[in-house]
Amino acid sequence: MKRNDKTPLMRVQGISVRLGGREILKSVSLDLYEGEMKVLIGPSGGGKSTLLQCMNYLILPDRGEIELEGRNVDPHNARELCSFRQQVGMIFQDFNLFDHLTAVENVGIALRKVRGMGRTEARDRAMAELERVGLGDKARLYPAELSGGQKQRVSIARALAMDPKVMLLDEPTSALDPELVSEVLTVIRGLAQNGMTMVMATHQMGFTRSLADEVLFMQEGQIIEQGSPKDLLADGSGTRTLDFCSQILDVEGCTP
Amino acid sequence: MLKRAAFMIACLLCMIAGPALAEEKVLINGIDANYPPFAYVDQSGKPSGFDVDAVDWIAAKMGFKVKHVPVDWDGIIPNLLAKKIDFICSGMTITEERAQKVNFTAPYWEVKNVFVTKKGSELKADEIYGKEMTVGMQAGTSEAKWMAEEKEKQGWKFTIKYYDSAPMAIEDLVNGRIEAAAMNYPPARDAEQKKPVQIIGVFGEVEPFGAAVRKEDTELLDKLNKGFEMLKADPYWDELINKHLNK
Amino acid sequence: METLNVLLEALPYVLQGGAVTVFAVVGAMFLGLAVGVPLAVAQVYGNAPLRFLSGLYVWFFRGVPILVLLFLFYFGLFNLIGLNLNAVGAATIVLGMTSGAYQSQIFRGSILSLSKGQLKAARALGMSDGLAIRSIILPQALRLSIPGWSNEYSIILKDSALAFVLGASEIMARTHFVASRTYKHLPMYLTAAVLYFLLTWAGVAALRALEKRVRIKGYVQ
Repeated sequence: MKRNDKTPLMRVQGISVRLGGREILKSVSLDLYEGEMKVLIGPSGGGKSTLLQCMNYLILPDRGEIELEGRNVDPHNARELCSFRQQVGMIFQDFNLFDHLTAVENVGIALRKVRGMGRTEARDRAMAELERVGLGDKARLYPAELSGGQKQRVSIARALAMDPKVMLLDEPTSALDPELVSEVLTVIRGLAQNGMTMVMATHQMGFTRSLADEVLFMQEGQIIEQGSPKDLLADGSGTRTLDFCSQILDVEGCTP
Repeated sequence: MLKRAAFMIACLLCMIAGPALAEEKVLINGIDANYPPFAYVDQSGKPSGFDVDAVDWIAAKMGFKVKHVPVDWDGIIPNLLAKKIDFICSGMTITEERAQKVNFTAPYWEVKNVFVTKKGSELKADEIYGKEMTVGMQAGTSEAKWMAEEKEKQGWKFTIKYYDSAPMAIEDLVNGRIEAAAMNYPPARDAEQKKPVQIIGVFGEVEPFGAAVRKEDTELLDKLNKGFEMLKADPYWDELINKHLNK
Repeated sequence: METLNVLLEALPYVLQGGAVTVFAVVGAMFLGLAVGVPLAVAQVYGNAPLRFLSGLYVWFFRGVPILVLLFLFYFGLFNLIGLNLNAVGAATIVLGMTSGAYQSQIFRGSILSLSKGQLKAARALGMSDGLAIRSIILPQALRLSIPGWSNEYSIILKDSALAFVLGASEIMARTHFVASRTYKHLPMYLTAAVLYFLLTWAGVAALRALEKRVRIKGYVQ
């Protein structure tokens, strides 16, 4: 177990979100320890994506607080908000690469404009990150010239370039063609093995079993079950998590 | 890209404001360049005409620099009042209404107003008032104003159609859209030489032409008055008349 | 024959008017860009008062005929603020401010057509909204706006013919002057029409070349 008596790296407390009169998140709390990998599982509309976006303050929760390394973050202070977001990387389901920039510019732009790096320094760093996700040779290509898997790897490189303390991944493989999923998972696995602290929403059960430190099952805006994948996904454990997973496996027709 | 755009706009603004600053000393005579032979633009593109030559002579004698700038006739007095131009010497009839806004020099020329028809037309000048027909004239002119007022008073039957310039009324006359045009004699005479039209008779009162300045510019008014006095006493005056008006 | 002589004689003079027209139109395009971009940003991302003000601006300049605006600004508002502009300058600014209202609607449409994820991704990297709009949203939106822009160019070009009412010596005014002197109205206006056509064609071709130059490889909206 990586978790012990240390203070959590990131602490989410009592986050509630209402959108259009509907309660999307109902007082969700979680503690994220350094080097830990948490996986969010649950039906769509259950609040996984909203929770992840709240954890980067891309959505401002109506109630609740977030602490990073023991310090409370005030999302209404623009400077504090920007600095917080730099430390928390975000990977989107549909990549959201900047369409007018090449792969290397996508990775480098925030280094230059947010970190204030020089052009050359930013490009060198961006190249290094692209090499890390195995895309050094695609640096000059525009997003429209890349496959889905390559796009997602560029977006991971883009997030990593900011040296985040935490990475949030919102179903990073669900918009991909099946044959492109594994190249992205390989990159994420590499991050986990290097000790990156991550929260990831995914339906990839094999991946979850082998890498997750903790599985959180979300439904109707609440974390209903949480525990190690071994406990929650054991045959005959009778958990809702297992129930849900066997359903999606039936639908997707593949083995864990 | 945005920085470049901002730079270009700054350049443009300089170019716009530049001439206005540089030419402060030169007095600007606003002219209606669509009013030959008093004011027009010649083959080389320079302002020309009776009034233009007269003002050039006066400026040289009275010791000021002048530039003639074509201005839309409809807006020529607003242009003067807004200080876009310094005076108007361009076949402007002295009227009471205008004199409320500007000061006029003593009359330097007088013109009759005439009706013009297509060549070969049988129409007589005194038949026009009682007929249901269309008569064209330039908007914003003293003759157009006189005609509209008299028409109201006398119950004349014709319809007035307004044009941006007298030559445009002539053009429509030739095209057959109007049966007659009304204007000052000199431009009508000019048209008669260039287009198949004829002058059929006079109407209204004789119109005195004067140069107009802003009410407060009394010094300039004196200069122009004195200048016209000198010009009329000079042989050049007859030369001008022969050159422009007695063709 | 006589007509041809008149035309040949008048051509250099009218062409100089073309320079005035080009100056006014290009100036108005850039001024419209400078006004239109902030207006569009305010309308999409601004708070309620900003949205209201920019909406008011657009509503005013779209609602009032350009002829009225020209007179209003040239004889009134510019003088009120102590700005004594010449006719070309005033016409350029009025055309530019009007175009700004229309251009803002082009840019607004382009911004709204971008995926919301672009702004989200920029924010997630720690960019402030201002920075994200400048370096992520606008470079894309402006590219998308070029076709709308060339449409706007031909509209400004045609509107610029109205500048002659202020006494700006552009194509239309000069055509009119020559026609008044020579009574060759039809040939002169035909000449003006050809000139305007050529200017439209050249401008649209230039913008198409620009569009090609800044095109992003493989990118289809």
